[in-house]
Amino acid sequence: MHHRLLRILALAFVALVILQSLLGGALFFRSVGIGADQIVSHYGDKSFHGLIEVILPHALFIGIALMATLHFLAFIPTLGVAIKQFATHALFLLFFLDQSSVLLIAAGWSTAAYLKIIAFIGFELLLGWVWYLIFRHTLKELV
Amino acid sequence: MKFNATKKLSDNRPLRTVMIWMLLTLITAMGLNLTAKAIDYGTDPAQWEKSILGNEAEFADPLSLNELLLRVHTDLFALILIFILVAALAVRTSHSLRVKMGFLTITLTGLILYPLSLLMTPWLGSGGVFTAAAAFLVFHGFMIVGALDILITLLRGKL
Repeated sequence: MHHRLLRILALAFVALVILQSLLGGALFFRSVGIGADQIVSHYGDKSFHGLIEVILPHALFIGIALMATLHFLAFIPTLGVAIKQFATHALFLLFFLDQSSVLLIAAGWSTAAYLKIIAFIGFELLLGWVWYLIFRHTLKELV
Repeated sequence: MKFNATKKLSDNRPLRTVMIWMLLTLITAMGLNLTAKAIDYGTDPAQWEKSILGNEAEFADPLSLNELLLRVHTDLFALILIFILVAALAVRTSHSLRVKMGFLTITLTGLILYPLSLLMTPWLGSGGVFTAAAAFLVFHGFMIVGALDILITLLRGKL
């Protein structure tokens, strides 16, 4: 029964991180926009301190959220090691690309806006796929 | 590096000490969050309503949807971590399954209702503000009591 409660807790955590990601996405689209020009004008106007104020909490939360999410993935016995390794490396790399592109934009390299769009969408899609795998496996074990 | 898993936290003294300090820190954080919201929005529903929906007579502007999104996004960051850390310990306690499920259901409902109803205030009006305030208080109340219960259990060496 203890393990069943932990599985429910795992599902709750994944659901909460999904909610937080959706809210973050909505905030990004409303306050920044999805076009490259909008991204350049938003981040180009920010000071280095202003950028750190955004990047720091994201690095903290995403680091913890990815660790928690991916450790559930690591415990799925039916998935191969190669898939787990790919998902882990790709998610962290895409996150680093997404955040560092903002610094590049602020430094004057406006083409990095496209890098941000690709990294952001790639990160969301890959994370969505990982959540799907975890949900599918956890539900199978619960039922 | 080799990790040793333990069934009873009290068997591992350093781990027990870490959990005790973590709970003390989380209880303090929740107390500070309640204080911060009392300063931001007020201490009764009418003050919350005025701070969030604005008041024409007093020339107070309502909070924009972008501002609400930013506040909710920032708040959830801390609340999700607090929920997971306390709930992961709560499921290890010797309480009945009904008590543990009740605790998880109430706190999780509060944690989901608070941000969603706060975001819906431009459409729901005072109903949304009241739901958000109630969910916020219920979540913090239950989490503080739950964390205190786990803390006492840990101090007595029963977890």
